[in-house]
Amino acid sequence: MTSAPHRPLRVLLAKLGMDTHTVGVTIIGHALREAGMEVIFTGLKQTPEMVCSAAIQEDVDVVGISTLSAGHTRSLPKLARLLREAGAEDKLLVAGGVIPEEDKPVLEEAGVHRIFTMGADTRDIVDYLRGWWAERQAQDAA
Amino acid sequence: MKAAADEIAQRLLAGDIGAGARAIRWLDDRDQRGGEVLSVLYPHTGRAQVVGITGPPGAGKSTLTDILVAEWRRRGQRVAVIAVDPSSPFTGGAILGDRVRMARHALDPGVFIRSLGTRGQAGGLSRSTHEAALVFDAMGYDIVVVETVGVGQDEIDVVNLAHTTVIVAVPGLGDEIQAVKAGIMEAGDIFVVNKADREGFEATRRQMELMLHLRAQAMPERREVPLLTAVASRGEGAQGIVDAIAAHRDQLHAAGDFGRRNHLRAREQVVSIAREILLERALAASGDAIYPEVEARRLDPYSAARQLVDAILERTAAT
Repeated sequence: MTSAPHRPLRVLLAKLGMDTHTVGVTIIGHALREAGMEVIFTGLKQTPEMVCSAAIQEDVDVVGISTLSAGHTRSLPKLARLLREAGAEDKLLVAGGVIPEEDKPVLEEAGVHRIFTMGADTRDIVDYLRGWWAERQAQDAA
Repeated sequence: MKAAADEIAQRLLAGDIGAGARAIRWLDDRDQRGGEVLSVLYPHTGRAQVVGITGPPGAGKSTLTDILVAEWRRRGQRVAVIAVDPSSPFTGGAILGDRVRMARHALDPGVFIRSLGTRGQAGGLSRSTHEAALVFDAMGYDIVVVETVGVGQDEIDVVNLAHTTVIVAVPGLGDEIQAVKAGIMEAGDIFVVNKADREGFEATRRQMELMLHLRAQAMPERREVPLLTAVASRGEGAQGIVDAIAAHRDQLHAAGDFGRRNHLRAREQVVSIAREILLERALAASGDAIYPEVEARRLDPYSAARQLVDAILERTAAT
């Protein structure tokens, strides 16, 4: 292929478990799209297995989990483990929503790279993802 | 670099999902490793039946695809789905939401769903849909479904890719004729009126029947095409449509047309890639000097375009 490469960031956005609050994740999705990213939605009531499978089939760079109900201390570490087991540990795993301060170390320890809590500015999320992507591409080029 | 492409090619030929997904990413990104993978797997393609599903926005293409996939799986066939959604021409970003309606297949190892943004491609497909279909073909999927973006009146590039094109119409889009503009009617191998429980269904079906009758008169070489109905949201109609798709494949084989469509596809693909490469190289080589002239109304766009092409051709002849 001799035409010029073009690599938009691909992001999978998903909700785990019975949580059906979609407003936040929809807003984030549109903000990322406006920032030139390809955003893949998977729908509601996803299991960690389903999200992992979708992340691999879609070959996304980032997996973003929105959580507004309890359960994330089990489901997020499980997703991180499944991604590692599938050889997809190069994907960035981020989470956002209602996540108590005391849960953060547990999640970070388990492999969640970054946690955005309520009130996070969508511009900060965009900047963070862009920064990570620029770094990743610089590494790949090196 | 080369070694990585070879490894991905070998793994995907063995059916590895992650390798197939990565190959499609490279092809979609125009990463040169994608071309290297393609050259290895190309001899292993040509077996899958590529099925295009197209129709206006809101026709229920994703939901219909979902119930067709379930039916193919019931019959033991492995299915890949390429779901295309529009990329923003301004930012390049895209919301790809077709998986939402196919979520029940997420854990089925016999189903591979890939969402693609159009990335500037007009015509209802994405830039790399052809290549993604080849990857799935080489991976051994029996059926490769290509679900186009919601099309308007003549965005029917999918017919150049698919062996079998299914046109989905729905009642209630206002002017009934709107759903059945000439280009679209001529393209279909199978027609489906979805949302058959909606008001206006009879009128839409009759209209389609008439159009298909007129088409059969104008093009006697083309067989009578099936006109089927579905209520995809309730799972109704999948069996008949899957039967019709299988029958169409058998017809193509019997008439020796399966290979011929592969041939047309190959040609279309080569021309399309060549066009992209030529245009990119030409524009890169041409410089930006001519555009301010047009902007300042000193030169009209037609003359500017002709000058551009002349300059490129002269440069090519000189080298």
